[in-house]
Amino acid sequence: MFPKLDPLLHSELRLAVMSILAGVDEADFTFIKNQTGATSGNLSVQIDKLTSAGYITVEKGFKGKMPRTTCKITPAGQEAFAKYVEALKEYLA
Amino acid sequence: MEQNKEMTAQESLKIITETMNKNRQDIVRHGGKYFVLWGILLTVFSLLVYFFWKTTGHAAWCNLWFGMPLVGLPLSRWIGSKEKVISAENTISRINTGIWRAFGIFACTLSLFTVCYAFTGTTNLSGLVLGASLTASIVLLFGLAETISGIALKNWTIQIAGWLTGIGGVAIYYLLAEGAEQMLIFTLAGIVLAATGLIVKYQYK
Repeated sequence: MFPKLDPLLHSELRLAVMSILAGVDEADFTFIKNQTGATSGNLSVQIDKLTSAGYITVEKGFKGKMPRTTCKITPAGQEAFAKYVEALKEYLA
Repeated sequence: MEQNKEMTAQESLKIITETMNKNRQDIVRHGGKYFVLWGILLTVFSLLVYFFWKTTGHAAWCNLWFGMPLVGLPLSRWIGSKEKVISAENTISRINTGIWRAFGIFACTLSLFTVCYAFTGTTNLSGLVLGASLTASIVLLFGLAETISGIALKNWTIQIAGWLTGIGGVAIYYLLAEGAEQMLIFTLAGIVLAATGLIVKYQYK
């Protein structure tokens, strides 16, 4: 019996966001948008879902005079991501 | 990228792998511009010191080197603040920054002790600890920093460039360079560093 894949992570854009954040200390919205090629609106919605689940944290601030939104993966997010990858391995084994 | 597309396990794994690789490459490429900046500064300052030392015959013009961090650090910060696309840091980029910060601290400290020695006759740390001249010591540290940087970034070009600069620079110093001419070793190191930055930017384009 295969383990159930986390439905929150089993989505193309959310998985890409989590893959980016798993490899960095933190990343700003523009960086994630550029890396995923997603639209601002779509990305905002998916980031909100990940934030609500407690997988990432979002901090709004300024870089010079420009507003800056920074995203960071939480320990719960790291654990969920690791479990998702483990489950994927079982599917592929 | 769509959020509702049904994915297979292979597709999921592909997304994870591709995103992580692209991420790493972009961060490494981003570091390339700082190699170019410091490479240009090293070349310019070494040529300035060489010119003034050669024309006046005074080695005291070496104090111009202290102007390099004074110009380079604000310039680096300015470039960082203008960056619109890349604004992420990972362990590798943090280690890379740390390596060059450590090199800067060591190079400045050795230089300061040498200046103190020149003026007061107190301890020449470079000669005492390393048994070598300041130029040879710094070029060796420089090469070492670049090689470690290449190892951290998993980039052979940087590793080889670092080795060539460090070992080659010391060899040139002992075999050929005397007086103001030793500054040209740093010109060479600067050109290698800037070229390394351009190669990194090109490799990960």
